[in-house]
Amino acid sequence: MQDFKRAMHYFYRYLKRYWLGLGFVVIVTILSTYFQVKAPVYMGQAITELSRYLGEYMNPATHATASKTPFYHALEAMMVCFGLSAATMFISSFISSRISAQTSGQMRVGLFGKLQRMTIKYFDTHQDGKILSLFTSDLDNIFNAMNQAIFQLLSQLALFIGVIWMMFGQNVKLAWVTMASTPLAILIAWFVIVQARKNINKQQEATGEMNGYINEQINGEKIIITQGLQQASIAGFAPYNEKVKQATFKGQVYSGMLFPLMQGLSLLNLAIVIFFGSWLVVHDGMDKATGLGLIVVFVNYSQEYYQPITQITSIYNMLQLAITGAKRLSDVHDQPEEVNPANGHQLTTLQTGVQLEQVHFGYQPDKEILHGVDIKVKKGEMVALVGPTGSGKTTIMNLLNRFYDVTAGAVKFDGVDVRDFDLQSLRDHVGIVLQDSVLFTGTVADNIKFGRPEASDEDMIAAAQQANIHDFIVSLPEGYATKVNDESSVFSTGQKQLLSIARTILTNPAFLILDEATSNVDTVTEARIQAAMDNVIAGRTSFVIAHRLKTILGADKIVVLKDGQVIEEGSHEALVAEKGFYAELYHNQMVFE
Amino acid sequence: MQILKEHAKPYRRDIFFSILAVMVMAGASLWQPRLLQQVMKAIIADNQHQVLTNGIALITLAVIGLIAGVINTIFAAKVSQGIAADLRANQYRKIQSFSYGNIEKFSAGNLVVRMTNDVNQIQQLVMMFLQTLTRIPILFVGAFILALITLPRLWWIVILMVILIVLSSQVVFKQMGKYFAQIQKLIDQTNTLAKESLQGVRVVKSFNQEENETARFTANSDELARVNTTIGYLFSTMIPMFMLISYVAIGASVWFVGHGVVAHPDDLAAITSFISYLMQIFFAIMIGGMMSTFASRGFVSLGRIKAVFETTPDVTYASDAPEVDLSGDVTFNQVSFTYPGDTQPALADISFQIKAGEMIGIVGATGSGKTTLAQLIPRLYDPTTGDVLVGGVNLKKINEQSLRQAVAFVLQRAILFSGKISDNLRQGKSDATPADFQRAADIAQAAEFVNRYEDGFDHLVEERSANFSGGQKQRLSIARGVVGTPKILILDDSTSALDARSEKRVQEALDQELAGTTKIVIAEKISSVLHADRIFVLDEGRLVGVGPHHELLATSPIYREIYETQKAKGGDN
Ligand SMILES: Nc1ncnc2c1ncn2[C@@H]1O[C@H](COP(=O)(O)OP(=O)(O)OP(=O)(O)O)[C@@H](O)[C@H]1O
Ligand SMILES: Nc1ncnc2c1ncn2[C@@H]1O[C@H](COP(=O)(O)OP(=O)(O)OP(=O)(O)O)[C@@H](O)[C@H]1O
Ligand SMILES: [Mg+2]
Ligand SMILES: [Mg+2]
Repeated sequence: MQDFKRAMHYFYRYLKRYWLGLGFVVIVTILSTYFQVKAPVYMGQAITELSRYLGEYMNPATHATASKTPFYHALEAMMVCFGLSAATMFISSFISSRISAQTSGQMRVGLFGKLQRMTIKYFDTHQDGKILSLFTSDLDNIFNAMNQAIFQLLSQLALFIGVIWMMFGQNVKLAWVTMASTPLAILIAWFVIVQARKNINKQQEATGEMNGYINEQINGEKIIITQGLQQASIAGFAPYNEKVKQATFKGQVYSGMLFPLMQGLSLLNLAIVIFFGSWLVVHDGMDKATGLGLIVVFVNYSQEYYQPITQITSIYNMLQLAITGAKRLSDVHDQPEEVNPANGHQLTTLQTGVQLEQVHFGYQPDKEILHGVDIKVKKGEMVALVGPTGSGKTTIMNLLNRFYDVTAGAVKFDGVDVRDFDLQSLRDHVGIVLQDSVLFTGTVADNIKFGRPEASDEDMIAAAQQANIHDFIVSLPEGYATKVNDESSVFSTGQKQLLSIARTILTNPAFLILDEATSNVDTVTEARIQAAMDNVIAGRTSFVIAHRLKTILGADKIVVLKDGQVIEEGSHEALVAEKGFYAELYHNQMVFE
Repeated sequence: MQILKEHAKPYRRDIFFSILAVMVMAGASLWQPRLLQQVMKAIIADNQHQVLTNGIALITLAVIGLIAGVINTIFAAKVSQGIAADLRANQYRKIQSFSYGNIEKFSAGNLVVRMTNDVNQIQQLVMMFLQTLTRIPILFVGAFILALITLPRLWWIVILMVILIVLSSQVVFKQMGKYFAQIQKLIDQTNTLAKESLQGVRVVKSFNQEENETARFTANSDELARVNTTIGYLFSTMIPMFMLISYVAIGASVWFVGHGVVAHPDDLAAITSFISYLMQIFFAIMIGGMMSTFASRGFVSLGRIKAVFETTPDVTYASDAPEVDLSGDVTFNQVSFTYPGDTQPALADISFQIKAGEMIGIVGATGSGKTTLAQLIPRLYDPTTGDVLVGGVNLKKINEQSLRQAVAFVLQRAILFSGKISDNLRQGKSDATPADFQRAADIAQAAEFVNRYEDGFDHLVEERSANFSGGQKQRLSIARGVVGTPKILILDDSTSALDARSEKRVQEALDQELAGTTKIVIAEKISSVLHADRIFVLDEGRLVGVGPHHELLATSPIYREIYETQKAKGGDN
C-alpha cells in the first residue's frame, strides 16, 4: 500500500500539469463508452421493430398499417451512436497518446537530470546495471501502462458500470442472471494472477542472474580463452538457462491461460443467458417480438459484460509493473542531491593555497579510512602523495573535489571550507585526471573538448600536443574526427590515459590533481608530458598521486600516506635522508648504476 | 528462418498439438454465432426442445474452446521456451568457439544483446505465432465463408469491408514500421547516453558537464517523445477509422435486411450472427496487422542471431593434434600482425627465440605493440604472416589443451569474475587445493589481505570487483596466473598499480617459486625487468633491441632513453 501511495505520488508529480487534458479524456472516454453501450440497444430495437413489422405485414388484418418507420428510426439512432463512439474514441485516444508520450519523455529527462545532481556516493553504492534498468525497463513499463492500460482501465470500468446500469434498465431478472457467474470468474482470475505474478517475479530474477552471467563471461572472454575455460563456461551457463526456461514457462502458462479461461467463461455465461432468456420468454408470457429483441440485447450485454473482466485481468500485470516502476523512480527522486550552498563563495583564483585540517573520513560510518589527515599545499606548489595501495590517496582526491564530504575536520581553499563554495565554481577551478580513463561516444575531438565544448581547434591541438597524443591522433585515417566509444580499442591502455590528460589540460584549471594519470604510460612519453606539464604546472597548484616515484621527484613536498595517516612529509632529499618508509619505497624502485 | 526451423525440429510434436488446439479453438469460436442463430430460430419457432439442445451444444462448445485454449497455451509456452533455451545454449556454445578477434568484431556488449534481447524477441515471436498467428487466418477465412453462408445476399458488404480495411491498414502499417525502426534506434541511443553518463559520472562532475549532458540527453529524449507521439496519433486515427468502416458495414447490413425483409423473412434470425462474423473478420485483420508489425521486429533479431551462427571462428585447433607436455620454449619466426580493419601493422617482422626457464622483459613506448606481441603467444590472435611456436610446436598445429596447460597470461587490465576468490583462482587450475591457493597468494603478495578476511579464500568478489582496490585486483589476477605453475608466464604491465615494495616482493617470489618457468614480463619500469636474462625493446611494432640490461644500455638508444627517464636523481647514489 505504501508502494502504491509512492507510485501515485510520482504519477501526480508528472501528470498534474495535464489535469485539463486528462479531465477531458476522462469525460470523453465515458461518453465514448456510453455510445458504445447504447448502440447495441438500438440494434436490438431495430430488429424488434423489424420483426414486429414483419408480423404485422404477414397478418392480413394489420397488413395495410404495417410501417417500417420505427425500424428506420432505430437504425438511425444506432448509426449516430456508432459514429459518435468512433469520434469520441478518436479524440480521447489522440489526447491521451500525446500526454503519455510527453509525460514519459519528461519522466526520462527528469530521471536523467536527477541522476546528474546526485552524490557520487549513490553511484558508488549502486550497480550501473540496476540504475540503467530504470531507463530500460521501469520507464518503459510506465509508458506501456499509460499508453495501453490506464486509459483502457478507465474505459473498461466505465463500460462495466454502463453495461450493468443498462442491463438493469432493460430487465432485472435477466440482468441478475447475466451477473451470476461473476464471483466465480473473479475467484479464478485472482488465483491465476497470483500464480502468474509469483512466476513472473521468479522469471525476472532468473533472467537477471542469467544476463549477469552472460555479461560477465563475454566481457571477460580474454581470460576464458587464455585459460581454456570455454567448456567450463558453457557448463556454467546451462543451469542459468534451464532455470530461466522453467520459470518463464510457468509464468507464461499462467498469464497465457487467463485469456482463454475468461473467454470460455464468457461463452458459458452466454449459454446461461440464452437458456434463461428463452425460458423467461416462454414462461413470463412475453410477446415473441419483445422476447426475441430482449434476448438479442442480452446476448450482446453478456459479451460486453465479460469484456471488461477479461481485459482488466489481462492488463493487471501491466499496471502492477508500472506501479513497481513508479515506486522505484520515486525512490530515486527522494535521494539526496549534492548540496550547493546558497550564495556560495565564488572561487576565482587560488590566493593562498589548499589545506586539509584534521580530516576524518569513512565511506561507511563504521569504517574510518582517513584518521586525522593534515596536508598543506601552498599556492604554486606541487605536492605529491605516495603510499601503498588502499592507503587512502584517491579518497583524499574525492574530498578535494567534494565528491564526498569529510566526517570531521575540514578541507579549505584559501582558508574557506569547500562546503561554503559554489559547487560549480569549485569544480571549474579544480581539474582532475582520474585513475581510470573514460571515453564517451563521439569523436576524438568531442572527447578532448569534453570539459570545454566551445574550445577552438587550435587550443585542442595544443592540449593534445602537450599530452603527447597529437602525433598518434593525426596518424589515424580520420584524425580528430575518428569515432570512438569506451569499448573501442583504437587506443592502447596508455594512449587512453594520454587522452584524459589532454582533456584536463584544455580546461586550464587553477588547481590540478593527477591520480596515477600516467600509470600505464611509458616513462619516455611520461617524461615528455612532464616537460610539457612543467609549463602547465608552473604557477599552478597541483596535487600528484603516483606509484612511480620518478614522476614526483621534482615535487615541492612529498606526503607519505599509510593506513589513512600521514607518516612522513618533506622534500625528496629530506625523506631519503630520513631512511624511513619513503626511502625504502624509493630504493626498491629506482635503478642505480 | 533456417535457424528457426532447425531449432523447432525437436518440438514438432508439441507444435502439432499446439496448432491442433488453436484450430479447435478457432473452430469453436466460429461455430458459436451459428449456434446462436439456431437458438434464435428455435426461440422464434417456440421450439423448447431445440433451444435446449442448442444451448447444451453452446455450453459444450465453450468447454471445448476453454480446454483447447489452455492446452494451446501450455504447448505454445513449452515450444517457445524450448526453442529459446536451445537457441541460447547453441549460440553461447558458438560464441565460446570464437576467437578473441571474432568477439572484438561483434563487440562484447553487442553479443550480450544478441544472447538476451534478441533471443527474447524470438521467443515472443514463437509464442505469438503459436497462440494467435495460426488462429488469425483460420478465423478470417472461416468467418468470411460463414458470413457468406449466413447471409449470401449481402456478400458484397463483406468483400467491400475487407478490401477497405486491408487497403487502409496497408498504408498505416507501412508508416508504422518505419517509425518503429526509428524508435528502436532512438531507444538504443538514449540508453547509451544514460550508460555512459553513469560510467563517467566522476568525469562529468569534475568537468561541470552535468548541464551539457542533460541537454544532450534531453534532445535525444525529446526526439523519442516526438516519434512516440506520432505513433500514438497513428494508432488513435487508425483504430477509430477501422471501427467506423466496420460500423458502416453493420449499419448497411441491417438496412438491407430491413429493406428486403418481406421477401427474405429468414434474414431476421440471421442478421445477429452475420454481424458477429463481420466483427470477427474485422478483429482478425486488426490483430493480424499488429502481429505482423511485431513479427517484423522478431525477424530483425533472427537475422542478428543468424550472423552469429554463420561466423566461422578464425582461430581453430586441429582436432587430431596429440596432447603433449610442452616445454617453455617460445619462438617467433618473421611474425607480422595487423589488427583487422587496420592498415598499419601493429607488429612487423619479429623473430626471436626464448629458451625454457628464461626471464624476458619487454619494454617500449605506449602503443609500441607490447600487448599485441604477448597476445600472440596464448593465441588470442593468429599472426598475419609468420609463425609462432610454443614448446617447438607451431601454434597452428598445436593441441589446445596442451597450450592452455603451458601458458598463463596475466592481463594489463585485471578482470575478476563474481563469485568467491577461490573460484577465480581455480580458473588457473581446476583441481587446485587450499595449499595451492595459499602458495599462489603468497607469490602474488595477495595473502597479506586475503588472510585478513574471516572467510579467507571464500571471500566474495562482487560484480565489477567493486570491493577490491586496483592493487588488490592485480594481485589476485597474478595469483590466478601462477596457481597452475605454468611453463610460460606472461605478465602484461601487471604490477602497475602495486606500490614499489609489494612489486619487489612479487618479483622475488616469482624467481624463487617459479624458477623453471619461462617468464615474459612487460613493464614500463626498468626496475621491473632489470634482472631479466634478456630485454626486448619494441618501437612502433619492431623489435629494435635484444639483450641484457647492461648490453642494451650500450647498444640501444631507445632503451637508453627509457632508462634515462628513470635513473635515480643525481645526488642520491
Ligand atoms: N567507494 C568506496 N566505498 C567503500 N570503500 C571504498 C570506496 N573506495 C575506496 N574504498 C576503500 O577505502 C580505502 C582507501 O581507498 P583509496 O582508493 O583511497 O586507496 P588508494 O590509496 O587510492 O589506493 P590505490 O593505490 O589502489 O589507488 C580502501 O581500503 C578501499 O577499499
Ligand atoms: N584491438 C585493436 N584493434 C585495433 N588496433 C589496436 C587494437 N589494440 C591495439 N591497437 C593498436 O595497436 C598498437 C599497439 O597496441 P598495444 O596495445 O600492443 O600497445 P602497448 O605497447 O601494449 O601499449 P600500452 O603500453 O599503452 O599498453 C597501438 O597503436 C594501438 O592503437
Ligand atoms: Mg587510488
Ligand atoms: Mg598494453
